[in-house]
Amino acid sequence: MSDQPLVGLTIDGKHVSVPEGTLIIRAAERLGIEVPRFCDHPYLEPVGACRTCLVEVEGQRKLTTSCTTPVAEGMVVRTQHTSEDAAKGQRGQLEFLLINHPLDCPVCDRGGECPLQDQTLAFGPGESRYIDPKRVYQKPIELLPLVLLDRERCVLCARCTRFCDQVSGERFIELFERGAAEQVSIAPGEDFGSPFSGNTVQICPVGALTSSTYRFVARPFDVSSEDTVCPHCASGCTLRVDVRRGEVVRHLARDNPDVNETWLCDKGRYAFRFPDRDRLDTPMLRVPGLEPVSYGEVFAAIRERSEGGRVAFLGGGRLTDEDNFAMSKLARTVFDTNDIDHRMVSSPEGLAAERNAAAGMPVTYADVERAATIVVAGLDTREELPILHLRIRKAVRKHGARVIDVAPRRTPLADVAEHVPCAPGAEAAALGDLGLAEGDGETVVIAGPRLAESRGGIEAATGLASRVSGRFTLVPRRANDRGALRAGVHPALLPGGHPVGEAIEGWTAPGEPGRDTRAILEAAANREIDVLFLAGVDPLTDFPDADLARRALANARFRVVIDISRAALAGYADAVLPAAAFLEKDGHFTDWEGRGQRMRPVRQPPGLARPEWQIFQELSEAMGKDMGLTTLDALHEEMGSLLSSQDGKEGGGSPEEVLSQRAGGERGSDEGEPPTLTLFTYPLLVDEGRLSVDAGELKEALEEPAFVELNPADAERLGIADGGTVRVKTERGETELPARVTDGIAEGAVFVPWNQPGLRANTLLAGSLTTAVTLEPVGAPAMAGEETS
Amino acid sequence: MADAPRVTTGRWGIDGADTIEGYLEHDGYEGLKKAVSMPPDEIIDEVKASGLRGRGGAGFPTGAKWGFIPKDTGKPVYVCCNADEGEPGTFKDRELMERDPHQLIEGIAITSYAVGCTQAFIYMRGEFLEPARRIERALAEAYDRSYLGKNVAGSKVSIDIVMHRGAGSYECGEETALLESLEGKRGQPRLRPPFPAVEGLYGSPTVINNVETLATVPHIVRNGAGWFTGMGTEKSPGTKIFCVSGAVERPGNYEAPLGTPARVIIDELAGGVPGGKQVKAWVPGGSSTPFLTPELLDTPMDFESIQAAGSLLGTGAIVVLGEDDCIVEAVLRWLQFYAHESCGKCTPCREGTWWLVKVLHRMENGGGRMEDLPIMDDVGDNILFKSFCAFGDGAVSPILSGLRHFRDEFERHVEANGCPYKDRPVLAAATPRTGGAEGTIPAGEVIP
Repeated sequence: MSDQPLVGLTIDGKHVSVPEGTLIIRAAERLGIEVPRFCDHPYLEPVGACRTCLVEVEGQRKLTTSCTTPVAEGMVVRTQHTSEDAAKGQRGQLEFLLINHPLDCPVCDRGGECPLQDQTLAFGPGESRYIDPKRVYQKPIELLPLVLLDRERCVLCARCTRFCDQVSGERFIELFERGAAEQVSIAPGEDFGSPFSGNTVQICPVGALTSSTYRFVARPFDVSSEDTVCPHCASGCTLRVDVRRGEVVRHLARDNPDVNETWLCDKGRYAFRFPDRDRLDTPMLRVPGLEPVSYGEVFAAIRERSEGGRVAFLGGGRLTDEDNFAMSKLARTVFDTNDIDHRMVSSPEGLAAERNAAAGMPVTYADVERAATIVVAGLDTREELPILHLRIRKAVRKHGARVIDVAPRRTPLADVAEHVPCAPGAEAAALGDLGLAEGDGETVVIAGPRLAESRGGIEAATGLASRVSGRFTLVPRRANDRGALRAGVHPALLPGGHPVGEAIEGWTAPGEPGRDTRAILEAAANREIDVLFLAGVDPLTDFPDADLARRALANARFRVVIDISRAALAGYADAVLPAAAFLEKDGHFTDWEGRGQRMRPVRQPPGLARPEWQIFQELSEAMGKDMGLTTLDALHEEMGSLLSSQDGKEGGGSPEEVLSQRAGGERGSDEGEPPTLTLFTYPLLVDEGRLSVDAGELKEALEEPAFVELNPADAERLGIADGGTVRVKTERGETELPARVTDGIAEGAVFVPWNQPGLRANTLLAGSLTTAVTLEPVGAPAMAGEETS
Repeated sequence: MADAPRVTTGRWGIDGADTIEGYLEHDGYEGLKKAVSMPPDEIIDEVKASGLRGRGGAGFPTGAKWGFIPKDTGKPVYVCCNADEGEPGTFKDRELMERDPHQLIEGIAITSYAVGCTQAFIYMRGEFLEPARRIERALAEAYDRSYLGKNVAGSKVSIDIVMHRGAGSYECGEETALLESLEGKRGQPRLRPPFPAVEGLYGSPTVINNVETLATVPHIVRNGAGWFTGMGTEKSPGTKIFCVSGAVERPGNYEAPLGTPARVIIDELAGGVPGGKQVKAWVPGGSSTPFLTPELLDTPMDFESIQAAGSLLGTGAIVVLGEDDCIVEAVLRWLQFYAHESCGKCTPCREGTWWLVKVLHRMENGGGRMEDLPIMDDVGDNILFKSFCAFGDGAVSPILSGLRHFRDEFERHVEANGCPYKDRPVLAAATPRTGGAEGTIPAGEVIP
């Protein structure tokens, strides 16, 4: 794995060879020798604070902390197994840690899964000799509505503060005071406003930090757990879901060095109640109200409605690879249509990048971690792919990677990145002007979903990558968008990135590309769609033109909704099919890298709900065109032959189809004419999305109300004050929002978040994530003579 | 001892020696003028040849420390003067800075020139208000006369000195904690390696020297290594300021050649135990050095001899306990100091000192148990050499050496269910500022 030279040493008489620079504690792990530790953490820098990992190193006068000392050739190490001095040293430190620790294990959330309990039992003294009063504190301190601190339990290992310092880069908590009064705390009036706060709870080796969502909720022995993949974004975090009496009580990060290491964002950790709320558990048909029926009755209705008619499919990011594959095949071979899409916005320019992404893993987390230069364009990593955000920061911390963030708005990468501000739509020109050269080490270019919409953006990004022999990837945001792409939930691509028109064995499909999401909705609005399948998608909130979505849903002749929640489209559905939630599924999610990861069912779906792929297979049987995907094995066999990488990790070449017009951020610059403003939007991490239902603590902690952000120059010209109310008006709609005036946004750019309390931004949009906008202050007269320069 | 050579205390007692005029009248800045005419490496060689050892407690050879500074790294080199004097019993740096601030500034300037540093720092103990005022004034005077700033002493050399006052933490005298604090961070020690000579302040090569060490440098440059090695012992050359406190007639700072027997310093210079009483116990180098017994009073005060006797020379701060003083109370007070000053970073120091204070408090005030004695031995052993920095090792010196030499006194505390010395006068109360050498601090500027 590493090309570092190996170093040989013996630990407790056993020989081991490890890469140079390995810490003794890690070398011991390789031999299966466990040394007690609290401050040590494989993803944090060594600190040597708790002193419990003492070992004897031959030739050293004193015991050595194995968590801070790198191995050396010929080193002879004795742990507690072969050195009484080491064993006594460790016992002594464990006894120290307990003198001020309350033995309140029976009421502590950590009880039963507590490293302090476990390691005291394994390595510590049986009884304490300490008889004097213990240190006490008022408890708990609320660091954030999500995270509580019971200081008397803290062993001051500084894992939490080092996480904030080293990993998330958000130093909200810090050690205060000194000596036995040392304590983790927070500045008065501040809160732990980090979307990664929950990680501190997971890595706390005692019960000092607890989650408000789990406090006094369950014990380790009355939950059942299973491993799955987080449904919230395309980061691909592997999760452990804890279920108590059938109800989800906790998400924990699983160790996964290639992907999320051991981290989760707070949305992934705390927005876990949605599978337990308002679940659909039976098929339903509108007669005229929605009434429970059998699957067979729904299938018969679909068959009748689709006979000779036009069918279209819209899929969400929630479906597994298997579900997507079955839907892709269903559309093509059963309903003979390429009118299928999973993307909310798209442009022909993205096709080559999408083909490349569908076929392999153009950029991985490891590539990002290794890269000398990381260019991010059209992506707010912390809000949209939080774990990628952490990995980029790691590349900076570990080896000083250069990060260039091309975006209209300064993002939370700003402290480690060079921000290249550009007007929305002008990303291509900004990328072209970067002036990177080959030979500055490996470069990765990461384009967010918005770049596909920006004229020439993809071409500029791929061009930049090929100019410096770097790698390019176009990343999605939703959990399994990449899986949908790979499966061919796309009007122009079949599974594995094969273009429509290529022959696939066992598949029949029209030779011409179908409609994309926007065209499907327009067709539906024009009453040209007879049956519209909506699988895990709600165009009313997901599509950037709420008006078009409303008309499309009103005018589609027969609407089949496949979803987990009763709340979904209840007003529109003609037929409803109940789906299994992610944690009830056996299958795969494919993350932004293109890495498929297995998810295992934690529990059975409620009632008659079942995974989409089963529903689609049974529908195909009912339609008289059996897809033959009756088991997961059958699915996997067919998927395996179609989805195997075509060209592996090919870096981005030139797109084959690009629009010839180069856009340019040419904005009205005529003298005397006020410059035009361009509104753009993207979702913030914690928002009103459907998967955040009932995540009250998360929203209380981190959700911001809607706002409009603009540059001071524009604000001054328009007479808008920071904090004042602004009327935001576009072709589609208007709203009033509080203003945030900041030089962190490019002149001419106006940002509103996608879906915060107070605004659904798609009510302002016309099919694109950007639009022309006018702003005016509310409650204050516009300044006179503003046109003079 | 009246004719003992005076080096760093040579100007004490001269009126106005703390001003630039007074300083210049008495050979001030002659060392610096000479230094800037020499190649820097020659200064380092001279200091190496002088055998000067650090006066802050560890006794590390100063010239060797300077020699570790790597050349041409592309990074700046920093010199930090450790003026965070906080060891109980130690008060020499304070008086050095109050009485002769320019001597220190000259020492820092020479050191900076020798190691290629243009920006030096004085890390001043937070509680040192008067030394800070004097140094601040002296810095302004030195800039005014171009002994600092650009073209130092008429040369092409530039040297700036910034004084930074700490926030009140003993641990910031530990050199890596000092650097953290100087960088504006929490005053806790750093993991080593890297050592400060390679990656110190702001990640750059850094020399950290004690006030007394730096104050000695101008004299070595001016008078030569041979002059310096003519004083003291072979391995501990030169003179040293001994801070004498506790049960003595005349507590204060006394400069004497290294190797002078402790008895001479205590009896002849400091006047012995009041009332002609006997010494019960003494420490040679501040509260973090182990107790010694009266039989060892003839031990020469140099690094090697004191170590051979079972303690450490430390800062040369001799604390004397007379026959009426209570060992347990002395140990308790010192442990309270260490528990209060522990930075909290590592378990043994943070929790262990807390535990020892609890037990000693019971010993002294009732509730001590015989089994507490071996427990304290073992708690001390679980701290010793297991803490993150040397603080923990120093913190257990009083209790471990106290139990070793005076176990019977602890046992009597258990038997009496409290302190048997309660009705006697105990440790000397707050010591009046006298100064061991002639001269007084001008009235009105004394900070009580």
